[in-house]
Order: sequence, then C-alpha cells, then structure tokens
Amino acid sequence: MDKPALSSARAPINVLVADANPRRAKALSDTLRADPSLHVQSVPVGMSLIDAVHQYYPDVVLVDMARADRDALDSVRALSVPALERPIALFVDEDDVNLMETAFDTGVCSYNVLDAPPDDVKPLLRAAIALYARFQRTRAELNAAQQEIEERKIIDQAKKLFMKNEKTNEMQAYRWFRGRAMQTSQRIVTIAMQYLAAQQKSDSP
Amino acid sequence: MTRPLRIGLLRLSDSAPVMIAHNAGLFAHHGLETELVVSPSWANIADGLVWKTLDAAIMFAPLAMMTSLGRRGHTSSLKPLKTLSYGGNTVILRGNNPLTGLWPVGEEGREAFEKWRATIGRRPRLSVVHMYSTHFLILKRFLLSIGVHMEHDVEIQVMPPPDIINALIEGSVDGGCVGPPWGTEACLRNLAFLAGGSETVMPRHIEKQLVVPEVVYDNHHVCHALVSALDDAMLPLHAVENRQSIAHDLSASLENKGLDLPEEATLRALSGEDMAERTYYMRASGKKENVTWMLDDMLGLDWIDKEEYKILETKWNASLSVPRSTNLETFK
Repeated sequence: MDKPALSSARAPINVLVADANPRRAKALSDTLRADPSLHVQSVPVGMSLIDAVHQYYPDVVLVDMARADRDALDSVRALSVPALERPIALFVDEDDVNLMETAFDTGVCSYNVLDAPPDDVKPLLRAAIALYARFQRTRAELNAAQQEIEERKIIDQAKKLFMKNEKTNEMQAYRWFRGRAMQTSQRIVTIAMQYLAAQQKSDSP
Repeated sequence: MTRPLRIGLLRLSDSAPVMIAHNAGLFAHHGLETELVVSPSWANIADGLVWKTLDAAIMFAPLAMMTSLGRRGHTSSLKPLKTLSYGGNTVILRGNNPLTGLWPVGEEGREAFEKWRATIGRRPRLSVVHMYSTHFLILKRFLLSIGVHMEHDVEIQVMPPPDIINALIEGSVDGGCVGPPWGTEACLRNLAFLAGGSETVMPRHIEKQLVVPEVVYDNHHVCHALVSALDDAMLPLHAVENRQSIAHDLSASLENKGLDLPEEATLRALSGEDMAERTYYMRASGKKENVTWMLDDMLGLDWIDKEEYKILETKWNASLSVPRSTNLETFK
C-alpha cells in the first residue's frame, strides 16, 4: 500500500475522514495516523459532512461515495453562501485518469482546499483506495465462504435423503452424486438441488 | 459490451420510464442488457458518467451541462439522448400555509412569505437537490416572483431529495424545491405545505433527460435501442388505469425491483392530484426542446459565459434530434 510520505518539516495536513462504515473509517484513520505529518479526524456519527467541514477546517477530505451528503460539499464553491473561509473542491488529477477511475470505481473520492498541491492529496487518495479495495475483497471472500457453507448444507441434506431412500451409507451416497455430476458435467451442488427438488415434488400430494 | 449497460438513477418517481423499461424487459427486447444503479446523490451520478462507472443516467440538464463543461474538474462530453419528463418539482415550506393554496406572485405572495417567515424565526433555510439543478433555478424564480432574493433573504442548502423528509422532521431545513414524490410526501405527513412549483414558475419545463457520455452517444446501435425501449416505456405511463400499479411497483423495496418510494405520494405525482405537481412524460422523440430559459438563468448566475451558452444551446438542440430507428430488426 502506498504510504503517505510527506515532509515532516511542513505544517501538518488536516485530514477529515468521512466514511459511513465505522470499521473502515477507523482502519483508514489508523493507517493515516501512522504518518506524523498528518492530523486526522473523523466525521462524528450523526454530523453532516458540511457541518464537519465548517468545524474542522480540513485541508483534505476523504469521502465515502455512499454518503448522500457529499452533494453539499460539492456545491460549496458555487453557492458561496454561507461562505467557507477556505473553499474546497473535488480533487481531480487530469493527468492521472487511471487513479481517478480507480478511485470512483472503488467508491472513494477526495475534496481539498483550493490551494492544496496534488502531491499532498494523491498519496492520501491512494491510501484510501487501497483500504477500500481491501474491504471490498474481504467482503467478497466472506461472501464466497458463506456460499460454500450453504452449498455444503445442501449436499449434506441431499445425501441424507438419498441414504434413507436407497438404504446406503454416506460414501455410497456421495459416490452417486459425484458420478451424476461427472456424467452431466454439472456441479455436485446442482445435482443435490435437483435431487431435493425432485423429492419434494414426489412428496407433495 | 462485455458487461451490462449501467444506468444511474435516484429514488424519484420520475425515474419511472427507466424502471419500466428495465423491469418490463423493454431494454432486453431491444437487445440491451441493462443494470440499474440506484445512487445516493446527484454528485455520484455526475461523477459516474465522467469516470466511467456509469454508461447512462437520468439527469437534469443544468448538471449535465455543467459537468460537460468540466465544472466537476474533468472535461467530459455528455449528451442528452432523450427527454423523459417535464415539470413535477414542488416548492414546499415547513408548517402551516398562511394562505389557502398556492402562493400568488407579487405583493400578495410577498406578504404570505413574511407571515410565514415570522413563524420560522430565523433566516429560512431552503434546500435544493443539487447546486446545478432545475430545482435551484425554479426556486430562485419562485422566490423572485414574490420579491424575495435568494442571495440575501434565505440560506440555501443542498441535500439529495429523499433526505428532505428527515431534515424537516429534525428542523434542519424550512423547506425547499424537491422532485417527486418527496415534496408531496412531506405535505401528506403534515411536515410542510405546497407553495408553488414547476407549474406556477415554468410550466412543463424540461426536467429529466437520459444523458450519456459521448462514447456511448457515438454507438448508434446502443442509442437507438435505448431510445426505442424508453419510447415503449412511455406508453404505460400515459394510461390512467396503470397509475395505481406503477405507483405500487415503484414503492416496492430495492430488492424487489422498486425504488422504495412512498406509494400514495407517488400516485399523486403521477396524476397531479392534491398536494402534488404532475410529472408529464414524454410523448414523442425528436421534438425540439426549450432550454433557453435555463441557459438564460445560468448565464445570469455567472455559471456560464456567452460562448458556453452558445455551445450548450447547439449541443442540447442537436443531440435530441437523434432519429428514431425505423427498422428495429436491424439492431437486434
């Protein structure tokens, strides 16, 4: 992961983390806090993004795109009422289209005060992207694990029913399902589901 | 295309044409595999089109125009492919109406505003759904028609349409201009009253359009299919007897292919009954649209200069003249 490496000689950069997911917000804050040149704060639960910006005067805001109150931040410059002392705008790097597409695809974007140099913003955005991507992967892995458990349950259920119907042991039942799966080029769980569905049909009056 | 065409929209009743085209299989019928992306805010829709997470979106013209000019930091040519609806925006205010019914323009309206403001006890905070929205322009015109200046007399806030209900309950806003059915929902819950809207300010103005990035616009196969499917989706919207079932479908949860909208308010937005502004759905493609008033207002607000005015005027008139496919079979 990119680590925000910034010169420690300069004044600390105020970073505001606006993430609706508290676990991810904490993880991102912790990552950023490892850099002493950053002063990191989170939007408290229940506070609107615009109020938090008024209160904390951030140089950079990292925003979870699922937050609906992002639009308020979006309009600060155009509205100019009530004026923010240091107007902020969506960070866009015209020369790094890849980074921008990845950011929006991952669901994170950043806003910064107008005079913040891109060199200060980009490492922060990269760190956020990396973390968001990790959370996405974890969720995907969790979903895959859950699906496997579900499938195993279905196969077990089908096997039990088969053992009862055909008076076989578990190994024989398993061989039967595996054999059918190989013959028909289908997954064992598909055969198990078909078996259960067929049984259900023949059970119903 | 290796993945489905992703169409962005918000939880609004005037998203109906795209919802119908998707759920009734009309896009599929015209050879398009589509995925609807129900988005939390207009900024997400605009950025989605710019940074390619969306292939098309329902949007209002000012945001599409400003995004197209690069006001969101990255110039990205967006084009309106089809107008979907006209009007439908409500101007609602907290509490009780000092008058009966909608506010008249001029002195009488101003008096009503002063009476109402006295009950609020602060500089009124009014919300719009995005800075670059028709709602902002409508609200500004509404206020001006009763001699109230947006810059001095009120405070403007920005929030996505469904959020206005909670904001009224919490007291963080005193009203605003909002799309259907949320203004009507606020009235039905006795949180606010209807003071005006699209019909009183700029009757049947262009509201939602299907907007696409240039790369999609250049794909004639996809554009014709989109336009044809949406033309087909308009038919059920024009039949009075379908309103109940359309409102019912839109009120279903997101998991059940709905938009989780309040059903009664949605029904009223379709018909324009009491406490609602009627949304008018497009009848035929290819009609020349009037965006002049918007461009005039945007120029007046210094959002655009005269050169940009001309560019946008040309673009918005030219884009919408995409001829409809005469022989659908060739595109399947």
